[in-house]
Amino acid sequence: MTQTTKAINPITTEIIRNFFISCAEDMNATLIRSAYTPIIYEGKDCSVALLDENGEVLGQSSGLPLFLGNLEICVKLTMEMFGRQVFEPGDVFYMNDPYMQGTHLNDATIFAPIFLKGRLVGFAATRAHWLDVGAKDPGGPMDSVNIYQEGFRFGPTRICSHYELREDIVDILRRNGRFGYSLVGDMNAQIAACRKGEERFRAIIDRFGLETIWAARDEIFRQSAQLDREAIEAIPNGTYTAEGCLDNDGIGTEPVVVKVRVDISGDQMTIDLAGSSPATTGPVNCGIAQTISAARVAYKLLINPDRPVDGGTFPTLTVAASVGSMFYAQEPVACQWYFTPLGLLIDLIVKALSPALPLKAAGAHYGDSMVIYLAGLDPRKGNIPFLSVEANPGGWGAFATGDGQDGLINNVNGGFKDMPVEVFESKYPVQIRRYGFRPDSGGPGKFRGGCGLYREYRLEADCGLYLWFERSKTPAWGLFGGRDAVGPENVIEGNSSGKMLKPLKANNIALKAEATVTINTGGGGGFGNPWERDIELVRRDVLDGYVTREGAERDYGVAFTADGLEVDIEVTRRLRTELSSSWHILHKP
Amino acid sequence: MSRYRVSVDIGGTFTDFVVHDEEQGYAFTGKVLSTPDDPARGVISGLTGLIYGLGNIAFLVHGTTVGLNAFLERRGARVLLVTTAGFRDVYTIARGDRKKLYALQYRKPEPLIPPHDIYTVRERMRWDGSIQEELHREDFEPIIEKIQAEDIKAVAICFLHAYVNPKHELQARKLLQERLPGLSLSLSHEIAREWRDYERSSSAVLNAYVAPIVERYLSSLESQVRERGLRSTLYVMQSNGGVMTAAAARSLPIQTFLSGPVGGTIGGQALSQALKRPNLLCVDMGGTSFDASLIINGQPSFSTETALEGLPVLMALVDIHTIGAGGGSLAWLEAGALRVGPRSAGADPGPACYGLGGTQPTVTDANLFLGRMNPDYFLGGRMGLDRQAAEKAIRSVADHLELTAEALAEGMLAVINARMADAMRTITVRQGIDPREYSLVAFGGAGPMHAAALAEELDIKEVIIPWAPGTFSAWGMLQTNVRHDLTQTFYQTMQATTLEDLEGVYGQLEEQGRQILRGEEVPEEQMGFLRTADMRYIGQEYSVNVQVSFEDGEDGLGAINARFHDAYKTRYGHSTPGAPIEFVNLRVAAFGKLERHTAGFRPAKGHQSPDTGTRDVIFHGQAVPTKFYRRDRLSTGIALAGPHVIEEETATTVVPPGWISRIDALGNIIITRKES
Repeated sequence: MTQTTKAINPITTEIIRNFFISCAEDMNATLIRSAYTPIIYEGKDCSVALLDENGEVLGQSSGLPLFLGNLEICVKLTMEMFGRQVFEPGDVFYMNDPYMQGTHLNDATIFAPIFLKGRLVGFAATRAHWLDVGAKDPGGPMDSVNIYQEGFRFGPTRICSHYELREDIVDILRRNGRFGYSLVGDMNAQIAACRKGEERFRAIIDRFGLETIWAARDEIFRQSAQLDREAIEAIPNGTYTAEGCLDNDGIGTEPVVVKVRVDISGDQMTIDLAGSSPATTGPVNCGIAQTISAARVAYKLLINPDRPVDGGTFPTLTVAASVGSMFYAQEPVACQWYFTPLGLLIDLIVKALSPALPLKAAGAHYGDSMVIYLAGLDPRKGNIPFLSVEANPGGWGAFATGDGQDGLINNVNGGFKDMPVEVFESKYPVQIRRYGFRPDSGGPGKFRGGCGLYREYRLEADCGLYLWFERSKTPAWGLFGGRDAVGPENVIEGNSSGKMLKPLKANNIALKAEATVTINTGGGGGFGNPWERDIELVRRDVLDGYVTREGAERDYGVAFTADGLEVDIEVTRRLRTELSSSWHILHKP
Repeated sequence: MSRYRVSVDIGGTFTDFVVHDEEQGYAFTGKVLSTPDDPARGVISGLTGLIYGLGNIAFLVHGTTVGLNAFLERRGARVLLVTTAGFRDVYTIARGDRKKLYALQYRKPEPLIPPHDIYTVRERMRWDGSIQEELHREDFEPIIEKIQAEDIKAVAICFLHAYVNPKHELQARKLLQERLPGLSLSLSHEIAREWRDYERSSSAVLNAYVAPIVERYLSSLESQVRERGLRSTLYVMQSNGGVMTAAAARSLPIQTFLSGPVGGTIGGQALSQALKRPNLLCVDMGGTSFDASLIINGQPSFSTETALEGLPVLMALVDIHTIGAGGGSLAWLEAGALRVGPRSAGADPGPACYGLGGTQPTVTDANLFLGRMNPDYFLGGRMGLDRQAAEKAIRSVADHLELTAEALAEGMLAVINARMADAMRTITVRQGIDPREYSLVAFGGAGPMHAAALAEELDIKEVIIPWAPGTFSAWGMLQTNVRHDLTQTFYQTMQATTLEDLEGVYGQLEEQGRQILRGEEVPEEQMGFLRTADMRYIGQEYSVNVQVSFEDGEDGLGAINARFHDAYKTRYGHSTPGAPIEFVNLRVAAFGKLERHTAGFRPAKGHQSPDTGTRDVIFHGQAVPTKFYRRDRLSTGIALAGPHVIEEETATTVVPPGWISRIDALGNIIITRKES
């Protein structure tokens, strides 16, 4: 059925907009349904987009917040490298170069041009995390110092031609990863998703006609741009700054500085990262494409968060970083843990803009994925090798109308869930002894920052321990008088040397059975003055275990009767006056 | 004399009744206003109005939203959760995931219990069910004190690894029952015998939260129907598509949660058998929500867990996908763009045409304005509709967009249809299912009005509008069996498993099922058991549910293996024969087969002319003179070319140009595309 609408009306536009998003959802479902590795179909570490003939987003579907609009750059860079005429019907391209696409080598970008009667009309593009791409260590290293240790690297490479797989190229890929079988499976899933996008987009064009489709696209982009412009216009002109640091780059011990400067001028926002650290030796560098995506995530957290992203979004945003800095990685610097500085970057952009957007901002969150691996042989199952990999939730920042969340996964992750105690203990020879909220770890404030978590493991077999914890040197900060949170801390007891260890990062510490490892993730920053917090809320926090009695007295000036949890009004009044005046003496000239 | 089989579906606005008269061989329907303060009142007034002497009822089943509403409105009982020392916060951490990607001020789903109502006791099971630390009975003293002092009515108990060894949960129950008789107790292993500590505690807490309310409601209803002479067993519809006795429902109230919408899917299953259509896509469009579900090869599609308002529940349930789209969905503007739904006018003020103060246009207003509904025959003429109010509301938005009111109204329908079609794609295309191989069954008050348009969106060839679509969910409840689902986590590789291992666990589960069915007085010869297993490739998180039968002889495990690969391929598009597999959970569905009659759910017809006049209806911008028919006067076998509209008390069916309708022997309207 072909409709011959000439002038675009809002109804056709809305229907076509729904179709673009629905097409991306179909692609995503195809990808997830046919992927071979759990990290894609369960971790949802993937994204897809339908792009127009210029590589602008028509519709997208993403499983990770970080994959926000960085598929189009791959198409655009390919056009730049080879010219538009490089695309032919039936082509599919693969690339994974972090200096081009951002992220790390594990992330495979696969896209296909879409033709209609010999004319290029768009692209179907996908990205998914491949389990292993031939790095020096399985899955990817923690201590790489250059890209060559992290696996194979491809610029835009044709893997399909005239709808046929190029077996020679696929063979190279298969031979260079540790799990060639699933690598090819995942690649095929991405190709299938591209084909689904192609089929669906053609059906949409068939139904409405290309002219109507482009008219609707222009109108959709106009709407998105208008909403963004209005939102930026509403922010007072000015320069807003913030800075913080990573503990280290995973190799050295020096902090790694991240600096943010946001300029608002009319309907334009510029995020400039000048002054941030030069490229580091360790693997915390990030390609510019992904840096831009991270800046877009921060932007999206503050500006029209519920509006789907398309080619009209972000006409208001410019991101600047200097070539060769950690945020504009150049060959050959290491990129495996590219996302670690991005969590901090997103927090800092929010902090910088908080004076202008006090109602939309929030204190900083605990910061990073806080990763622990335990590896060894499982004596319960005939000494088969095991490897547990966990990311851990922590506290989020408080905001103008509420407390930060306690124990929530970090901002660059999305639907990631902790591993249930029962599942963990059934799978690995390790017992979990305690799991809960760390009292007093959330930043005090009129609204309290969320609490971090503790999790205590008792080993029942010899294990190698790997840790990637961050943000002890810049713990989550508070806003508008809200205090900083407590940072992460890990404790290892009963190891062979008998000495208690407190490492935040570790690369294969050998531990004997019966040793215990306790990890503690940080809290989130507070919001507003702690002595203004509702006394009843403080009492509840003590009752619920988020704040100790001592913490309530020290941080919030709330005292309780000696024998119970009745608030001692007299003492509380005095304590709160003291807290408030000492704060003012310290902070007023 | 027991001549009636009766079902009752208690909804938010109306309580629907379907009565099957076994003697006369036909069914009739009824509707009364719901009485949310005491739902039993509406049930009784409806029953006594429809049937003379409740002693004539042979079978009475009802779907109730009492439990669900108590949960949604957070009116449940105060619950104390008791769990293993060291793990008090597991329930509150709630696994730490975010449901929204871009939300700086995110809030987790609100739990039903604050941390200070969670108590711990010392005890510890290991992963294999061996006891590492015995239960410390003295740790209950402060808990008992608290329950007594604060008059707490419900307690949930969830200990680590209780799904392997429930000994400590059972000890805890015994101890609490002795000291606090009458306390409502929900043990996690009895609610869901599956691993995952958070999900299991969440299920137990939810059960405990609604238990006292459902208990009170069922006692009240039961005593009232008994007083009026009911002698047969009172059944309750379950989320798993089966029924259970009211007595069983008291200990498992969460199984009543989705008892309303599930009726529609089970009705679809009965139609599937009666019409010999193995594959059906069932859609229920009401005032605020649109529910889509599937019948595949004659069986409803199932899942084993769901989330309610973000809180997980482990239970067997018919898989229903819901979006916010219905007759009450509102049209609104954003940056010059038109949006329809998910916001709804609800029942109050409702659509503008209800004349109750609504001023924003809804989907119902658009349908009325376009002439697709007869304003004088809404609810059989018992409620008048105000076309002018609808027009005024539509114009207010149309003017902003510089469109005619007709274009806007048609546009609103196109937008809402596109959204519903997308929901239908979610459960079909995105699961590897081709909707073109399905017939569409449309019901609910608004479903039949949109059905043909939805079929067009997905290229579906045939639409079925069952008799009395507005009460189809209630009708479906008459088509059920007694059903109980039992589960045991069985985490073991296929390689290490023997048929005897499986037989041992299945035997136990079937015995448990047999006990429950006996308690419900199901005769042995009516009992049936279905064995399934959740299986996956080693290393995966999610599993696939596979039917397990031991009729495969010696190579039973080989057959299970093959069935897993097939099921995996259907679900994910590929499989890896030869890759190692593991079991996760073993499940048994225990059935008690009930007698039923599918045919004849249509009353005898009168002799009046079905044609009630011709009205202009707008299709594709054109006003087309369109015949209106009364459904109860259309005779079997009659075929009519679109466009036309078929009216009945509970719904209006629109047959657009290019489609043909026909009345089949069971009274269904079958709509197909005109051959071109």
